[in-house]
Amino acid sequence: MSERLKAVFKSEPTGVTRLVSYIMAGDPSVEASLRRLKGLADHGVDVLELGVPFSDPMADGVVIQAAAERALNAQMTVKKTLELVREFRRTHDTPLLLMSYLNPLLRYGWDQLAEDAADAGVDGFILPDLPWREGQGLRMRTKKRVGNKLDFIPMIAQTSREQDVQAVSQVTEGFAYVISRNGITGGEVELPASVNKFIESLGNSLQIPRCVGFGIQKPEQVRALAKVCDGVVVGSALVKAFAKLDQKGLEEQDLIEQEKEVFSWLASLKN
Amino acid sequence: MVKEKTHVLSDDGYETSGHFGPYGGAYVPETLVPALRELEAAYMESCQDESFQQEFKELLQRYVGRPSLFYEAKRLAEQLGGGRIYLKREDLNHTGAHKINNTLGQVLLAKRMGKKRVIAETGAGQHGVATATACALFALPCVVYMGEEDVRRQNLNVLRMRLLGAEVRTVTHGSCTLKDAINEALRDWVTNVEETFYCFGTAAGPHPYPTIVRDFQTVIGQETREQALKELGKLPDAIIACIGGGSNAIGIFHPFIDDKEVRLIGVEAGGTGNKTGENAATLCLGEPGVLHGAYSYLLQDDDGQIVVTTSVSAGLDYPGVGPEHSNLKETGRADYVSISDQEALDACTLLCQTEGILPALESAHAVAYAAKLAPGLSKDQVIVVNLSGRGDKDVETLAQYLEGGANHE
Ligand SMILES: Cc1ncc(COP(=O)(O)O)c(C=O)c1O
Repeated sequence: MSERLKAVFKSEPTGVTRLVSYIMAGDPSVEASLRRLKGLADHGVDVLELGVPFSDPMADGVVIQAAAERALNAQMTVKKTLELVREFRRTHDTPLLLMSYLNPLLRYGWDQLAEDAADAGVDGFILPDLPWREGQGLRMRTKKRVGNKLDFIPMIAQTSREQDVQAVSQVTEGFAYVISRNGITGGEVELPASVNKFIESLGNSLQIPRCVGFGIQKPEQVRALAKVCDGVVVGSALVKAFAKLDQKGLEEQDLIEQEKEVFSWLASLKN
Repeated sequence: MVKEKTHVLSDDGYETSGHFGPYGGAYVPETLVPALRELEAAYMESCQDESFQQEFKELLQRYVGRPSLFYEAKRLAEQLGGGRIYLKREDLNHTGAHKINNTLGQVLLAKRMGKKRVIAETGAGQHGVATATACALFALPCVVYMGEEDVRRQNLNVLRMRLLGAEVRTVTHGSCTLKDAINEALRDWVTNVEETFYCFGTAAGPHPYPTIVRDFQTVIGQETREQALKELGKLPDAIIACIGGGSNAIGIFHPFIDDKEVRLIGVEAGGTGNKTGENAATLCLGEPGVLHGAYSYLLQDDDGQIVVTTSVSAGLDYPGVGPEHSNLKETGRADYVSISDQEALDACTLLCQTEGILPALESAHAVAYAAKLAPGLSKDQVIVVNLSGRGDKDVETLAQYLEGGANHE
């Protein structure tokens, strides 16, 4: 298990809960992504998710689709994403997970990817198109290659059946990514009232912490969820906030100043 | 240097769902996993259920008009010289293509499963029309996702879907064709999964779709087999079908897979050339990867991004292909070739003018390959072409081509 990730969940959260943030690598540029990863880490984000752009992101809503498109237009690749992580690791210890659809990673060559990712300082993977039970071969293969350096983060949906949750209940590394509602990332849809009960019910079966994601953007949501989970994931809302700044065409100095407001807004979610 | 393929998702012998050799699986968001299992269970049950099978069979006979004709295209063969050519006339089915075989099966299943709403993607619009038709017949609301580019070039089918009471949602992301319509339909499904049935249009996508769609389409091959034995006293020498995702092809191939003497040939869209982006010849020019829930051949770039495809035929304009075809390629049981836009357009006019049959541009790809193969065969050898659909929807595209051709002269 990744030591960096383990440490985060071992210590008490600084705020009502832990904060997991998502941005897309290379949106709109490698430099901006690096600066933002550092800024997020410096402003109290506990775990970073870094998206790898893919042309056909079927689990994503319009905000992250657009981010992937911008990153691909800027020629972002898996290789450059790993370089970005390596650069980030020179200065920061915040755990970082790659969130990626399978195909770009498979194309890179899985064994090579596992080695290069571990070496660059990646702590694990969130793979939205690899259901937990389909991924056993890939996980074992990765373990053989790089030992316990890379965690695989299981996703659990409200539709998940008992046997799927059962399979995840064996897991002792990382955390469970609980999907707040049926659907794709982002959107203005309110979280269903049932979500707290659902997360609570998982508590009895899982050995690992639970972080909740999809559609989280308000302090009230975070406060309500904090009672039942170990962390919340903020993705589309953050990507959207940065995209708004990028569209303004600001001078770099102004952009950097305004990014700080985004960091503070994010940090305020867990107050 | 030929690198041996490693199929990391299945290589180490861990159990995964629904594979054909190393290809297939169900690589979808966790939210959809239970829905696919539910579908698989309902489908398996329906296979054992005689009342379901009977209802499906009767629909195929009394509503679709099956069996479809097995027609010898004598004038075409005469003009080409060489072997005999038969057409399996799926174009004569109700709604004008093979797609209706599958949609009636799936919508029957939706009804059985108590689903309240049906969604579908469509490229050429034939699957959309066939789904809208089945939904009208079974009184289920229907939403069809269609890429903006396809809405433009297959407008007749958009109007037909609307007449049938379906809602057509135009998809404006990505390449605005079939692959983007599938992405959008999957997003709808993951959001409305409990009450929604996703009626998938080709023998691709996550398990169990490649199997379900194949099974509903094998009626084409079963009839062809019986008709050939009755009419010719032997099996055909070659069977040719066009490949979008591969449903009409696997439907006609499947009952012949064990008959090693029958050549099976899938024809992909060669578009305007062999360079990246100029075609949709997935098996001929692609590499394995994961798209739309299955591990199969894909047209992708060096970084694993899906390539935008080109084909004059909307129904073949897809960068993926069904996993069973990937396996038939790997085992060498079937051959996959490609036909260019120009060759397909020429085959369209050839079939019109020799036989009075206007094929869909998709099916014209299969006709075009038959025209290449026939002259090299002897007079007692027989080719069967799966004429998967009729070409009324393509008249505007053909008109542009004919007018364009006139300008060049
Ligand atoms: C007439 C016709 N033939 C073939 C196809 C290609 O699909 P498939 O490969 O699933 O048969 C289509 C798809 O729209 C079609 O409309």
